[in-house]
Amino acid sequence: MSQGPKTQRLTVLMALPPPDPQFVLRGTSAPVHTLHFSCGGPEPDIPLLFSGSENGFIHVWNLKTHRVDTALDGHGRKSVYCVETMGGKDRLLSQGRDQRICLWDLAEGRTSVTDSVFTEHMGFCRCSLLKVAQGRWLMAMAARSLEEVQILELPSKTSVCTLKPEVGAKLGMPMCLKLWQLSCGSQPVLLAGYEDGSVVLWNVSMGKALSQLSCHQEPVMSLDFDSEKAKGISGSSEKVLSIWCLNEQQNLQVYKTHELVNAGISDITIRPDKKILATAGWDHRIRIFSWKKLKPLAVLDYHTATVHCVSFSDHSSPWDRLLAAGSKDQRISVWSIYAQT
Amino acid sequence: MAVFDTPQAAFGALRPVCVQLTRAQTVENVRQLQAHLAGVSGAALQELQEYVLFPLRFALRVPGPKQERLVQSLVQCISSVLAATCVKKQELLQELFSELCTCLAPPPSSVKAAPLSEELKLAVIQALHTLMHSAYGDVILSLYRPSSLPLLGFAVSLLLTLAEQEKAKQIKISALECLQVLVLQCDCQEHRQLDEDEEQQCGDLFASFLPGISITLSRVIAGDIKQGHKPTVSAIRLFYLIVGLVMADKQLARIPKSKEKLPVEHSRISELMIHRGSDWTKSTAEKLSLLLHKVVESSSVHPHWKVRLELVELVHHLLRNCSQSLVDSFSHLLKAVVGLVNDENSEVQSRCNKVLQGIAEQRIVAQNRALADVLSENLHSLATALPRLMNSQDDMGKVSTLSLLLGYLKLLGPKINIVLNSVSHLQRLSKALVQVLELDVTDVKIVEARRSEPPGPLQQGVQKGRCQKKYFRFFTEEKVFQLLQQVCRVLGYYGNLYLLVDHFMGLYSESGLYRKQAAMILNELVMGAAGVGVDFLQEREVPLNVDDLKGSITSILDEYMDQANWYLVTSVDTEESSPEQSEQHLGLAVRAGGASSSILLQSSEPPVTTRTMNSNIWQICIQLEGVGCFAAVLGKEFRLLLLSALYPVLEKAGDRTLLISETALGTLADICEACGYDSVQCLINENSDYLVNSISLNLRQLAYQPRASQVLDTMLRNSDASLLPLIEDVIQDVLSALDQSYNSQASTFLRVLHSVMTALVQWFGMPSAEEHQQRHSDKGQSRARSQGQHKVTMTSQEVEQFFLDYVSQKRIAEGDLPDLEEEEADEIPLAKPEPSSDTEGEAPMPSHAQLARDVMERCIHLLSDGSLRVRLKVLDVLELCVTMLHPHGNHLLPMAHRVWPALVTRLISDDPLAVLRAFKVLCTLAQTCGDFLRQRFSKDVLSKLTSSLLSQAPASARAGPVYSHTLAFKLQLALLQGLGSLCERLDMGESDLNKVADACLIYLSAKQPVKLQEAAQSVFLHLMHVDPDSTWLLLSEVCCPEGYEPPHPSLRPVKLSGMGRPRNELTDNVLLLLQRLQQQEGTGPRTSTQEASPS
Repeated sequence: MSQGPKTQRLTVLMALPPPDPQFVLRGTSAPVHTLHFSCGGPEPDIPLLFSGSENGFIHVWNLKTHRVDTALDGHGRKSVYCVETMGGKDRLLSQGRDQRICLWDLAEGRTSVTDSVFTEHMGFCRCSLLKVAQGRWLMAMAARSLEEVQILELPSKTSVCTLKPEVGAKLGMPMCLKLWQLSCGSQPVLLAGYEDGSVVLWNVSMGKALSQLSCHQEPVMSLDFDSEKAKGISGSSEKVLSIWCLNEQQNLQVYKTHELVNAGISDITIRPDKKILATAGWDHRIRIFSWKKLKPLAVLDYHTATVHCVSFSDHSSPWDRLLAAGSKDQRISVWSIYAQT
Repeated sequence: MAVFDTPQAAFGALRPVCVQLTRAQTVENVRQLQAHLAGVSGAALQELQEYVLFPLRFALRVPGPKQERLVQSLVQCISSVLAATCVKKQELLQELFSELCTCLAPPPSSVKAAPLSEELKLAVIQALHTLMHSAYGDVILSLYRPSSLPLLGFAVSLLLTLAEQEKAKQIKISALECLQVLVLQCDCQEHRQLDEDEEQQCGDLFASFLPGISITLSRVIAGDIKQGHKPTVSAIRLFYLIVGLVMADKQLARIPKSKEKLPVEHSRISELMIHRGSDWTKSTAEKLSLLLHKVVESSSVHPHWKVRLELVELVHHLLRNCSQSLVDSFSHLLKAVVGLVNDENSEVQSRCNKVLQGIAEQRIVAQNRALADVLSENLHSLATALPRLMNSQDDMGKVSTLSLLLGYLKLLGPKINIVLNSVSHLQRLSKALVQVLELDVTDVKIVEARRSEPPGPLQQGVQKGRCQKKYFRFFTEEKVFQLLQQVCRVLGYYGNLYLLVDHFMGLYSESGLYRKQAAMILNELVMGAAGVGVDFLQEREVPLNVDDLKGSITSILDEYMDQANWYLVTSVDTEESSPEQSEQHLGLAVRAGGASSSILLQSSEPPVTTRTMNSNIWQICIQLEGVGCFAAVLGKEFRLLLLSALYPVLEKAGDRTLLISETALGTLADICEACGYDSVQCLINENSDYLVNSISLNLRQLAYQPRASQVLDTMLRNSDASLLPLIEDVIQDVLSALDQSYNSQASTFLRVLHSVMTALVQWFGMPSAEEHQQRHSDKGQSRARSQGQHKVTMTSQEVEQFFLDYVSQKRIAEGDLPDLEEEEADEIPLAKPEPSSDTEGEAPMPSHAQLARDVMERCIHLLSDGSLRVRLKVLDVLELCVTMLHPHGNHLLPMAHRVWPALVTRLISDDPLAVLRAFKVLCTLAQTCGDFLRQRFSKDVLSKLTSSLLSQAPASARAGPVYSHTLAFKLQLALLQGLGSLCERLDMGESDLNKVADACLIYLSAKQPVKLQEAAQSVFLHLMHVDPDSTWLLLSEVCCPEGYEPPHPSLRPVKLSGMGRPRNELTDNVLLLLQRLQQQEGTGPRTSTQEASPS
């Protein structure tokens, strides 16, 4: 009898057909490493999705026609692994394996690189962008020397500070960064995941590490942070998701861990409304969890190779919102999960 | 006769006759006067008008009974005087008027004594007519003062009596015409236009006569048809003229609240006068409405078209002048006009149309709420009756009913929304339409007609999507359908599109009974909304909002292409495994084989009747037509919708039901035209990304796989190599889908794999090295680069080598021998390029070859499938794969190695058909993998094949004609046909060749069936190519027709065992073969044979 409800649920699950992507974007002809939506504009604006791929191209996808509007070539055919918009869809930031971060002007059909930053960083660490005022951004990026993170102000490119771990900390290279502030005007804070599996909280203005937490045995591949709940999540090449929180004394503490079926997480994103989160798995699958209790909600199985990145769209109407995932199999799958949750 | 131009001269001439007439009033005298009048000019007569008239009037006034003929001639004479002159005095006019009227009046004493003669009446009427025309300008108005009311009334009543009661047509017409003049509505242009006040006065005056005139006229109009059409026409005209005058909205609006007081002396007359106040107007309108109804009823069906035409004029006139006062009558009037739109007479038709157009253009309806109400009321009652009418009426009746409906809608124009906003109206209307449009779904042929098996590539010039001819349950006439179409389009044109689409979508999903009709209506609504093919009377007020249209179309498309509405059971054919069936009947289909399956299906499933299937087919067709319509309506805008719409349509283009696939092809053509693609090919090529997306998503679900593969199939047939990167992606999907369901879907996917490979072979069949590189941009480019470098180094090496050689040679020549060290140093540059050429060899395969390899991999698994069909297909695909992999030997060989065991099984123990195909594969393989195969073939296969041939030979030699139908025969034939070429391809060793030759020799026997003999011959012909000498020897051992003389006595004489043998069963064929061998090797016995002769 005790098996009753369980089997019932199982049959229900089996009866449901596996969820399908709403559509799939093809044509990057290279593995996709990063995705970024720009759909928040008012009606006549066409919703866009930017994708950066291994062949160095940034594709601008028109989400109405599902076709590439423009392909930007600015990283010397070296892999592009981070794309962000700055303000509207007309200003774009991209980071590539050519060790450059480019700023693009895309207004009125232009496709020119207006400025660029030479990072001298050899790793894969994506930079992190934070808008601090109208037309002023802070950008955190991995710097030339192994363990350092540098904070720049954009668009002036002036260096704000360089975050160096204490001598002998042996954190290894920074792997992922998340720059945030509690509210507009308050002090910017940086969360950085390192090669040795630890996550460090930095005070950007003082250039000082506030707290350090060892979350994983392996390098931290990705992290995201919810400043409202003061809670963050990180993934590595292990079978574990680690959830940690920030207490009032600005100390990082392990909140809980979540065991995964298959090892390896390449990207984690919390949905802007902080209700669910998505992970990009090395097992070719995208997993959706509830953010509150980390209850597994769905396994999106479509890709035939490692999923590199997941991204939620910024549509103003919740019904239009989408989830996109880019994979090594050169496809970008776009899912409408709002309809189901 | 002399003409008297001056008054004096005229006077002189006329005086005697006038005097004469005054003295004696005789017909003769009148005639004389008349005769003289002819000679007097008009100007002169004008001067003498009163003088001449005097004796005539005197004669009329003489008391006592008069001779009728005299009166007649007098009247005629007066008439001729008046015709030539003007009446310039009011008194004269009034007197003449009353005198003439008196002539018509029956003598008071002897009412019934002697009716007046018709000639007299006619003469008097004409005289009155002339009088009215001769009255000068303002003078005539003196007749229309309240004081003249009694006189006028008298005249009117006289004339009416004549018009109604006279038998003679001429009198009737004249009387009516005279009346028309009398009410100042003459047709001729001579009259002075009255100003507003004057008109108002006349209107007041005539109001008194209106009841009499209208009642009498309506009687005339509805009178005996035998009276001819002219009186009726005149009566109708008079009717609307007088009504239009008295009831004119313009005049009524100016009527003061209370009656004007007339001076006291006119008090009696004042009683006669009518005040056209609102009460009066209302009651009169009510009465007129009855009369009008009567008039319309009788004249709208009048056999003569001029009457009907006049009726149209009546409506036109009244609507223009009295649209407010007579509003209640308009339901009849409009009905009449609208109904006459489709009159059999073209003049009536065109006039009707013009009138309606005029009504619409002047926005009479749009600005008149009351009229709109009337119309919508009419519409409602018509809609209520419509289903019943459609059931009971014949096609002609339906045509008229529907044109009425259409007319109402057109007239309502933008006001249609008033009707549509009322739920009951809309419901009535839609129910009626839906019921009328019910299709006839009994035709079995629709279900039976299947597309011929191999679906060819979609033709360039697919005929433009014409709607399929539909058959309706309640009518057959095409005209009826056209009218219904127009009704829907007009609704769409003026109506609120969202409201209509919502409503009919509701009906669509409400019940399967309504679905087809609702879809048909929706299609037409959209066409109408876009203004395509709409016959409208007035432009709509709000121009079309494209976004609204797009929104509606998108929602309709979503509904149409919903799984439940798009994928319907259209056949019970399990063989072709249409997805829904394979889904539903999977279990059954496995159990029930062949013919019995359909019976089983029907007994266990809710019965799928022919009717249902027919209905389903039609529904799909209508929806497909809808897609075509939508495309046509949206034009290039439709390109955005291709994302979701193209795939389903393409799916249907591959449907096995003829009607569906034809319709879908038409739809594709429509889409091409609308979106500006040159051809269906173009359409598919440019949207292949959308298609690939849908295909790949559909492949994820077992039930949709057959459909998806069908579309992929179609796509492959219609695209070119440029699509490889996209298709590659989806083929990988197909392969992985296949991997998950080898059992159930193998045959479906094999078809796709087959077309994939066919396409690949077609695109990359003969790839030159350069083409390779171009097609595979990324890999190709790097490869091309490295190759380029390679080339350069090679040439530099060559040059270097050349010089080194030269130098060393020179040194040697000079006696300076190189020492070892130097030699080593020389070799270093040679060794350097080696690694690069190594990487060159391992360069990744082009993607099409990779695909071929992946497909081949699957073939290995499927080669031993249980179904022969599958195996045959696999062998076909395998052959294509092998062809594809030819240029990539180092990839083909390992694959061939893996295929081999399964292939061997096919070769030695399978159906003859499979053996034959396996042979073909073997032959293709042999082209590249000769060495690889030679050993294995002779080891694994050859002996089994030859022994089976040998063991079967006696049986076939003995067999009768029936044998050629047996499996054994087919197997023998297949082997014999294949072996020859195979031996040649594999370049087999001597012992193997001997084995083959031995096995085939017996089949050269004349006892064998002819086909086998021929096949055996072919084996030998091939052997001749491989090894002519041994073949010659072998054949000659059997039979040698000629002796060979050694060229030198020292040589031993040639002795062959075939020499001098008696003729046997093999002789014929062997001789034939030897002859061929001779031809092949040139004329005469070969010299080499002698050398090779056995020792």
